[in-house]
Amino acid sequence: MTTIALTAHAAPDRTFRMPVIYVALSAMLALAIAASLMIGLKAYSPLQIWTAFSRPDASEAAIVITNLRLPRALMAPLVGAALGMAGVVVQTLARNRIASPDTLGLNAGASLAVVLASFALGVTSLPGLSLAAALGALAAGLLVFGIAAGAGGLSPVKIVLVGVTIAGLGHAFVEVILTTREAVFEQLLFWLAGAVVDRPISLVANGIPFVAAGAVLAAILAPALDALQADDTTAAGVGVPLGLVRAGAFVAISLLTGAAVAMAGPVSFVGLVVPHAARHLAGLRHRRQLIVAALVGAIYVTLADIAARFVIYPSEAPVGAITAVVGGIVLLALLKRRAA
Amino acid sequence: MGDLTKTSVHIDKLSLSYDQTTVIDALSLPIEEGKITVLAGPNGCGKSTLLRAIRRLHRPQAGRLLIDDIDIARIGHKALARQIGLLAQSPSAPEDMTVEDLVRLGRYPHQSMLQPWNALDGEAIARAMDGTGVSHLRHRRIGSLSGGQLQRVWIAMVLAQETGIVCLDEPVNHLDMAHQIECLKLVAHLNALYGRTIILVLHDLNLAARHADTLVFMKEGRMVARGAPGVLMNEETIADVFGISARVITDPVHQRPLCIPVY
Repeated sequence: MTTIALTAHAAPDRTFRMPVIYVALSAMLALAIAASLMIGLKAYSPLQIWTAFSRPDASEAAIVITNLRLPRALMAPLVGAALGMAGVVVQTLARNRIASPDTLGLNAGASLAVVLASFALGVTSLPGLSLAAALGALAAGLLVFGIAAGAGGLSPVKIVLVGVTIAGLGHAFVEVILTTREAVFEQLLFWLAGAVVDRPISLVANGIPFVAAGAVLAAILAPALDALQADDTTAAGVGVPLGLVRAGAFVAISLLTGAAVAMAGPVSFVGLVVPHAARHLAGLRHRRQLIVAALVGAIYVTLADIAARFVIYPSEAPVGAITAVVGGIVLLALLKRRAA
Repeated sequence: MGDLTKTSVHIDKLSLSYDQTTVIDALSLPIEEGKITVLAGPNGCGKSTLLRAIRRLHRPQAGRLLIDDIDIARIGHKALARQIGLLAQSPSAPEDMTVEDLVRLGRYPHQSMLQPWNALDGEAIARAMDGTGVSHLRHRRIGSLSGGQLQRVWIAMVLAQETGIVCLDEPVNHLDMAHQIECLKLVAHLNALYGRTIILVLHDLNLAARHADTLVFMKEGRMVARGAPGVLMNEETIADVFGISARVITDPVHQRPLCIPVY
């Protein structure tokens, strides 16, 4: 069984370090969210932000801040937190540290569902597409789980193989539909890249309960996931019901990824890269890892969303493009370190 | 740890199979509590499968396994894991996992949502690491350990589980001679000090004879012979079970049988 070799021998004692890390990351997240409210096509001062919330008026500043900036300043961290936690669970489930929610075909399922809803059913409203995305992600999750479980035992290798296959098929169908139907909806293309701009705050409100449910489930499964990092015999030997825990992990991943994709579309690479940062800061215990992954993911997507406002200024880039480019570079650096 | 009660295992007409192939055929075998039982036999004789079945990781085709007269099929996952520990043949975990985090896994069956990690769990892993001499390595990543150190860490993980029965599947494979001795001394020590029932699968007949209270010879899914090594290990039985001709002499140091293959 291959595992990742790290050069450092001793890990730091984290008992006293973790609270410091939680506080520092929370402070960074608060700053990132404040920056997300302030920085953009137009910059606003902290005072203007404060006024817009405490005494909202009809001024341009108040309208931009509450209607445009606030939804994305809340959606970006929620999406990032969900994908960060989903990534942690996926990588343990797959016993593979380059797995991500994409590996299980969830984003492909969401994309396909959105494209189908739009072309076949004529759905154009954002809430409609959002619902299609969530259902598509859940359907893909169920399909991968069903095939992998049906093929005789949910082994990590089987999960990854089936997931990658379903993901490839989903993306292929999306390509086919988009190229055969020449009318390409700009909204759809932008959606398919993952974005948090121009989303109503109601989408955030809809997403919160699903993210919360996924997070609670992941936290409950955390001790079992700790044991699942070892081989199956060892995990079962200490009393982990393997099938039940893997099914629960699938549900948690589907809830978290489904909610994220419903809000922002497929924001790639977050679920792949964030768990690496989380393990670096929190070690391999899942309760700690999940908290840190949620915070780091939230910070990452919030900062990426701010960057998205400037890279092709004055136009907006999809946040998924930013997370993919940065994530790709980080992944290459990780692979290089592993090879060294 | 003095509250570990001795636990007996009864194997009752047990049949095990992979797909359609029968691996163990209607085997009945009592395993004495507080003793070291060694399962030995040629490759494919079903000893590892039997060990997995004792830990309920292999569903029996027929027959029963009883622990203290209770059918293990009726025991919950965590409850069973508080009674039997198993060290797999080649266990694995991420190389960047720390020794302490690995040993902690042994406490999984003692925790629940109503009973989260507490001081008792901390004491149990401290005892397990002390007992195996790995306390000073607790913050090391397991990928940085030597083979012998790593094996002791895995044994510590099984010890932290605090089970009355400990199963070890070829625990000295891949270890050099010094580490083999160290590992088996540790196992014997656990048995002597805490009275744990130990079930071992061993390949090396001489190590088996040296450490077993009861030796069980298996061949083609059946038990060929069972008894004290001094009685059991003779030239005819070895020829029958392993298909080799060997001389058996008495080890002049420990007065245990010593098998010398003749070829």
